[in-house]
Amino acid sequence: MTSLASGYGDTGERRRTEDAPLEITALIDEETVQSIVQEAWSALIGEDEFLVPLPGGLPDDAVSSWVEVLGPWTGAVVLTCGRTTAEELSRCLLAEHAPPVLDAEDVADGLGELANVVGGNVKAVLPGPSVLGLPEVGSAPAAGPDVLRVDLLWRGRSLTITLQGSAGALTGHQNDPHKNEVPL
Amino acid sequence: MKILIADDSRVMRQIVIRTLRQAGYDDHDIVEAEDGADALAKVTSESPDLVLSDWNMPNMTGIECLQAMRASGSAVPFGFVTSEGSPEMREKAANAGALFLIAKPFTADTFNEHLDGVIA
Repeated sequence: MTSLASGYGDTGERRRTEDAPLEITALIDEETVQSIVQEAWSALIGEDEFLVPLPGGLPDDAVSSWVEVLGPWTGAVVLTCGRTTAEELSRCLLAEHAPPVLDAEDVADGLGELANVVGGNVKAVLPGPSVLGLPEVGSAPAAGPDVLRVDLLWRGRSLTITLQGSAGALTGHQNDPHKNEVPL
Repeated sequence: MKILIADDSRVMRQIVIRTLRQAGYDDHDIVEAEDGADALAKVTSESPDLVLSDWNMPNMTGIECLQAMRASGSAVPFGFVTSEGSPEMREKAANAGALFLIAKPFTADTFNEHLDGVIA
C-alpha cells in the first residue's frame, strides 16, 4: 500500500524529528487559498461569481462556519461573513429549490457546506495524513498566533477565510476523535 | 433508473440532483438519504440502481456504508461525491468496491466523465 504521506514534502516524521510545530503560512499561501475558494464559488454559487481579494470589514452580525483538520497541521478552516451574505450564499446554493423565506437550518447547512468544500481542498494541499471534521456553524473558534487570513469581496460584501492553528483554542468534537473524522 | 443520494447536507443533496440534471441525467427517480445509516437502510428498502454518497457523514460514514453493503452481498453500483479526493481515499474507495470518487466542487462535466458509463 502506498504510504499515506507520499507525495508530500513533509511526512510528519520530519516534524517529530525537528520537534517544531508546523505553521500554516509555511504550508500554503493566500493565492492558493483564494484559488480554492474561487473554484468552489464558480462550481457551487455560479460560474460568473467572482471573488475580489480586498478587505471590506465584516458586519457586527458576522457568522462563521468551519471544519477542523487534524494531522501534521491541526486547526480549522473558517469562513466568516455577515448573516445577509450567508443567506444569499445559501439561496444561490439551493437555486430553484430555495424557499421564499430561508430558515436558519438552510442557511447553516449552506454555509457549513461551503466551509466543508473549501476545507477539504485546503486539506488536500497540507501535509498528510490528516482527517477532516464535519462542518460546524456559529461564532468563529478562537484563533491563536498561527493564522493565515484571506479577505475577499463577493458581490461587494466581505467574507474572510482563515486557516488557524489550534494552539489549544479549538473546542467541540475534537474531544471525540471518532465521531466526525474521515477514517483513514 | 433509481439513484440514491446520500449526504448529511440537504443543500448538497439538492446540488447533486441539480448537477445530475445539468449533466443530462434528468429522467431518473431520486431517493435521498441523510447519512450512511439511512443510505444502508434505503439500499434495502428502495432497491436503487446506483448510490452516490458523501464520505464524511455522522452516524455512519460513506465508506462504512459501502463496506456494510458489500458485506451483506449487495453489488449495487456505488460512487462517492465528497469534499476530499486524496489518492489514499481514492484507493480506499476502490478497494471497498466504489466505481469512482468525485471531489467537490464538481461540475456537470465531472459528472459526465464518471457517470456516462454507469447511467444508461
